[in-house]
Amino acid sequence: MKFIQLVGKYGYLIYKTFAKPDSWRMFFRQYIREMEKQGIGSLAITIIISIFIGSAITMQMVLNTDSPLLPKYVTGLTTRETILLEFSSTILCLILAGKVGSNIASEIGTMRITEQIDAMDIMGVNSANYLILPRITAFVTVVPFLVMFSMFFGILGGYLVASMTGIIAVDDYVYGIQYTFKPFYIVYSLVKSVIFAYIISSVSAFYGYYVKGGALEVGKASTDAVVKSSILVLLFNVILTDLLLM
Amino acid sequence: MIEVQNISKSFNGVEVLHNISAVFESGKTNLIIGQSGSGKTVLMKSIIALHRVDSGQILYDGRNVPDMRRKELKKLRREIGMLFQGSALFDSLTVGENVMYPLEMFSGKEKDEIIERAKFCLERVELTRAFDLYPSEISGGMQKRAAIARAIALNPKYLFCDEPNSGLDPKTSLVIDQLISEITREFNITTIVNTHDMNSVMEIGENIVFIYKGNKAWQGSKEQIYDADCQELNDFVFASDLFKKVKAVCK
Ligand SMILES: Nc1ncnc2c1ncn2[C@@H]1O[C@H](COP(=O)(O)OP(=O)(O)OP(=O)(O)O)[C@@H](O)[C@H]1O
Ligand SMILES: [Mg+2]
Repeated sequence: MKFIQLVGKYGYLIYKTFAKPDSWRMFFRQYIREMEKQGIGSLAITIIISIFIGSAITMQMVLNTDSPLLPKYVTGLTTRETILLEFSSTILCLILAGKVGSNIASEIGTMRITEQIDAMDIMGVNSANYLILPRITAFVTVVPFLVMFSMFFGILGGYLVASMTGIIAVDDYVYGIQYTFKPFYIVYSLVKSVIFAYIISSVSAFYGYYVKGGALEVGKASTDAVVKSSILVLLFNVILTDLLLM
Repeated sequence: MIEVQNISKSFNGVEVLHNISAVFESGKTNLIIGQSGSGKTVLMKSIIALHRVDSGQILYDGRNVPDMRRKELKKLRREIGMLFQGSALFDSLTVGENVMYPLEMFSGKEKDEIIERAKFCLERVELTRAFDLYPSEISGGMQKRAAIARAIALNPKYLFCDEPNSGLDPKTSLVIDQLISEITREFNITTIVNTHDMNSVMEIGENIVFIYKGNKAWQGSKEQIYDADCQELNDFVFASDLFKKVKAVCK
């Protein structure tokens, strides 16, 4: 019962959010601001994490595929598949859920408890539309780019391991990452990431928008936002994989 | 003019407002007074339709709020300015941008004109210097004044102030009160102010509605307040020793 209520409330908020903005000029200003904050602001963490995870995956693959029966390119191949299929979309989005999701929930939640949202409603502004639409659209716009960066730097991480430690020959790695390359995997990853981006931003905005009380509740809302959107991302990861790949 | 007729409002079965009727006149500073928890904020939020009332009518110059559809309500709200208890300035925008916000949203004017108008409103509350500062960089009294400037940016016909001088020193309170009352007269606005501060009541109260436990217990002017035939109001007014003395002197 409570769950149905929750879904209904979310649906109503989304209905209010996806309306024509009261002022396009203000919308675009917010949209650019959010893209800058969420996109440029997450670039460094994306690059760092991708390089490290890429290196770690490569090392583990070297250990796990160390058999005379397997050809040498397997390490590069499996590293590439892991990064393209799973890490750069799902895991990266989980990390971004922690960063961007909590930020969206706490920003909107603080505006709620300090009556800033009431102030907008009184002016006749559609507050959901003004606050949430630019955040969702901006995040959906920047995430595919972050994912592509992550793919590149993840695979680069493996390359760095190969060239610096020598546990695998650089040529074998480079051959491996090109072996039977399926461009559709990139499309699959980007499609997933767009849907994850929508889930993270809209669910976090939902938890922020309906905060009641004080600072304590804002903290709780931002935790809720991260936990719930992460669970939904994982759930949809399974569903989308079944739909797109199976 | 805003007319409230027989409105009631309850939350989860608990009645907070009971059958309230009152008239708030234009060009006057109308006050809603009462003890903490008596229902002032709920009454004000009901009038501006942040709460939906259970029954009764709320007429803005004849237009009944409970009958309105969303579009009409939105249109009405552009004629309303509101000053919140905690100022509610947008803290991601500068003071100037805050005042320009409703103009950019709805006025459809050119940027130059909008800046011009924002400067005029800030000048009216003597805050021109703060144009490029953020709300966190100015004092509480200045925030209140900035919020007033934002509330009058679109030339409202109706102005609502929820406890405009809570948390301010007596002198700054006086400045804010006088500003509200001057603006009301200057632009012929229907102003409704929530307060429990007897100083403001005696300073600016032209039409006073006294709420006691969700009921309207008394309505009148500040001249009538000392001789009111209402025990609850007397208890409220003379709770402060000062006013007992004032009464003694007047007699
Ligand atoms: N959203 C709400 N849900 C349930 N009860 C509420 C709600 N808002 C107010 N109340 C109740 O209504 C009563 C009146 O509250 P209100 O905020 O109007 O008081 P007030 O007169 O403005 O007091 P103060 O001077 O302290 O601001 C209180 O008992 C409060 O608990
Ligand atoms: Mg109140």
